Amino acid sequence: MIELQDIHKVYEKKKSEVHALKGINLKIDKGDIFGVIGYSGAGKSTLVRLVNYLERPTKGDVIVDGKYLAKQSAKALRQIKKEIGMIFQHFNLLESKTIFQNVAMPLILSKRSKQEIKQRVTELLDFVGLKDKASHYPNELSGGQKQRVGIARALASNPKILLCDEATSALDPQTTQSILDLLKRVNEKYGITILLITHEMSVIQKICNKVAVMEQGEIIEQGSVLEVFGHPKHKTTKNFVQTVVKTELPEKIKQRLTDKGIDRLLKLEMVGTEAMPPILVQLIRDDQIQITIEFMDMTEIQDTNLAIWYLHFDGEESKREKVIANLEQHGVRIEEVSVGV
Amino acid sequence: MFETNITLQQFLDGIQDTLYMVGMSLLVGTIIGAILGIILVVTQRGGIIPVPILYAVLNPIINLIRSVPFIILIVAIMPFTRQLVGTAIGTTAAIVPLIIYITPFIARLVENSLLEVGSGIIEAAESMGATPLQIIRYFLLPEAFGSLILSLTTATISLIGATAMAGAVGGGGIGDIAIIYGYQRYDNFAMISTVIILVIFVQVIQSTGNKLARLIRRS
Ligand SMILES: Nc1ncnc2c1ncn2[C@@H]1O[C@H](COP(=O)(O)OP(=O)(O)OP(=O)(O)O)[C@@H](O)[C@H]1O
Ligand SMILES: [Mg+2]
Repeated sequence: MIELQDIHKVYEKKKSEVHALKGINLKIDKGDIFGVIGYSGAGKSTLVRLVNYLERPTKGDVIVDGKYLAKQSAKALRQIKKEIGMIFQHFNLLESKTIFQNVAMPLILSKRSKQEIKQRVTELLDFVGLKDKASHYPNELSGGQKQRVGIARALASNPKILLCDEATSALDPQTTQSILDLLKRVNEKYGITILLITHEMSVIQKICNKVAVMEQGEIIEQGSVLEVFGHPKHKTTKNFVQTVVKTELPEKIKQRLTDKGIDRLLKLEMVGTEAMPPILVQLIRDDQIQITIEFMDMTEIQDTNLAIWYLHFDGEESKREKVIANLEQHGVRIEEVSVGV
Repeated sequence: MFETNITLQQFLDGIQDTLYMVGMSLLVGTIIGAILGIILVVTQRGGIIPVPILYAVLNPIINLIRSVPFIILIVAIMPFTRQLVGTAIGTTAAIVPLIIYITPFIARLVENSLLEVGSGIIEAAESMGATPLQIIRYFLLPEAFGSLILSLTTATISLIGATAMAGAVGGGGIGDIAIIYGYQRYDNFAMISTVIILVIFVQVIQSTGNKLARLIRRS
């Protein structure tokens, strides 16, 4: 649906040059909710603005729905933009127009009939839960409501893609949750592909199925959310993942284990909806293995859970090997870790 | 103190002349000035139709005209005025320098008002696939409307001040009465009453402008 091929973006300033993107390769499939995360200045906004050509790449190709944007005429480009909705951190609503007029704007630009506009806008305001605010002005709305208007406006022209540039960064956690729920509904009900950028891992955790991590103009890691959350490779990714999933042992627990003279632990990682995976229950019951659960963490990701367990195994060595093999067979990732403070 | 040589009729004529001069030059100045102001905003680097060369030419010309004091401007363009309206003296003739005076001023005010519209709004417009003309019509102008009204209020008040100076070329109007009767003939009544009328004019225009702008902005 969206493809970025070896994208470079250089901003020319008076004297210096800023190399904002350095060889980005990205493929976003239809129906994805693709998240891009990175610290401030990583180049996220630049990246998202390339997709609707608000920003042109210095080098490389942007391909949207099979079309090379570089080859399009100005007119064709405007048409393509109508198939890509966009919402913003600061909403960017017209303060001088009512909510109805704001949502109607893309349709007015496309010269649709009054009747069609009225019908479509009413439907959209109903979808975002702001039917009763049609004749209000943006300054009479809360941040969350403004973003709902932004979403309704972005959906007006029936886009195939929705771009979200820090759409929830100006909102409190509760409002963020409701906007994320709404975006999820947009994705499910209308089958719209969503590309969202954020600096909050919790946003990725709540609605994305795929994620790319950016640092200094490069994508340092990407994959399915479960994969990346379970096995962050890069230091920055680990830092982001740590903000929502406790994949590492807390310092206090490490200290306690060291005091007890325990150095080696088994780190298990399981995906599933049950707190205690059946295989583990079975092993404890049938094989009479002795384990101590030193630490566990469970995080809801998409519709399932990612569970991290740190176990201490007290049995014989031969049994231990068998248990590990057995667990691996059941799709549990298992790893020997040293506690080392 | 209240002996005076001017009649009520002269006052009424003066008011009428002032309104005529302000009205005409404001009308023409607003049309041309708004177009120039829009051109300044859209053609500058980073604008929606960047033509830096056009901007680079227009910008200093506007600065140049704005730096000429009005009284000098009147005299300097007299030959041009004569060609245009047949005479360099009188109310109609005074409108020519008034327009040339106010147009670049309005262009600047319009430019500033339009620049106040956040870049986010423009970005939203572009993301919707709006054409440059649609951006001006549906985004820039409506969002800047309140501020534009205030700009025009300022321009109108400047014009009232300038019409008084237009008395130098027999422009007529309230200011002319103040100079000819009040200043040159020591007619205190004429002086005080014209000043009062001018103050009322300015007050009414300013508060109307403010009210209008507030009305537009709050909505
Ligand atoms: N229009 C511009 N002109 C010059 N430099 C720019 C421009 N836009 C962005 N940059 C630079 O490009 C780099 C990436 O900026 P970008 O806005 O994409 O980062 P970001 O990841 O979105 O950051 P944030 O989280 O703060 O929004 C930064 O170094 C920034 O200074
Ligand atoms: Mg950004």
